[in-house]
Amino acid sequence: MKNTKAYISIAIICVVLATAITLQIRTMKKENSVVSQAFANSELKDSLLEWKEKSENAEKDLEKSAKELEEIRQASTTNDNSAEEKQEELKKYNQLLGLTDVKGNGIIITVSDSSNDNTAIDLSSLIVHDADLRNLVNELANAGAEAISINDERIVSSTCITCAGNVIQINGNKVGSPFVIKAIGNQESLYGAITRPGGYTYMLKARSIQVESKKASNIEISKFTGALTQKYMKSTN
Amino acid sequence: MMGISIGLGCVLGIIIGFIIPTIPYTASQYLAIGIVASLDSVFGGIASTIKKNFDIKVFISGFFVNAILAILLTYLGEKLNVDIYLAAIIVFIGRMFNNLGIIRRYYLGKISEKAHAKKNKKEEN
Repeated sequence: MKNTKAYISIAIICVVLATAITLQIRTMKKENSVVSQAFANSELKDSLLEWKEKSENAEKDLEKSAKELEEIRQASTTNDNSAEEKQEELKKYNQLLGLTDVKGNGIIITVSDSSNDNTAIDLSSLIVHDADLRNLVNELANAGAEAISINDERIVSSTCITCAGNVIQINGNKVGSPFVIKAIGNQESLYGAITRPGGYTYMLKARSIQVESKKASNIEISKFTGALTQKYMKSTN
Repeated sequence: MMGISIGLGCVLGIIIGFIIPTIPYTASQYLAIGIVASLDSVFGGIASTIKKNFDIKVFISGFFVNAILAILLTYLGEKLNVDIYLAAIIVFIGRMFNNLGIIRRYYLGKISEKAHAKKNKKEEN
């Protein structure tokens, strides 16, 4: 009799136990969470490293292919005098597209987040946003800049400048503060456009963002490292 | 008999667990500590049945008081930012192993007794 009671009570506790365990497993599955945060972190780190390596490899491949293409182009035109003109033209167009390293006189603007730590001010106004860089690039292009780069990311026809959390993405690559904007063009007009009262750097300075613009000669701007694709567009004739 | 009652209880519990709705994520850590407490109670119950000093009042009250205290400790630890629930888990798991040792010795003793009896019978024949 005493044993029967024990068995019944143990069975009841087992019911509770099994219910709780099943419920717990179902909840954890539903939340799609992992038991250990550290494990999840290390897994994420692993995959990040893997993707970084892949991206680096792809970049290397691209560089190699570009070099090969250049070699083939040269080889095909060396024995052909009529093609030399074409070669020159090709070089010029590549330069215009931003596919070659260029240098020339221009200005260098350094923009970095404010060092002001007054918490009474809206913190969002103290950091450099993607829109600020877009406006600066716009202003430079308006002043006749022929080549622009931000932290060695060349601005080309397919460039987009987007917000990516606490960094900014240019050409799909992450760049962070300080931003060094290099532009080649007429020094006077570029400098004037950037530093004019009421201009964009004036507004940035009003937000206590650090802006430093200076004229420089023989600025080197590196080429666009990504790929310009042509999948949907066709020429009309 | 013991095996049957545990098996039946577990099957019934799993069925109930699949029927009732899931709980919010924040409550799941309290449920987890409750699971450890009830596991401890089950092992304690089996061990006391074997030792023939099973008392239903002690068993039921132990289950509820242990589970509630463990859950309260978890809550307090969360408020104080100290993982107090680890202490509860260590105590429960330690006791579980103690009780498991008692159960294991009992069944091992039974098995060796049986073997002994068989041997004796053979010798008699």
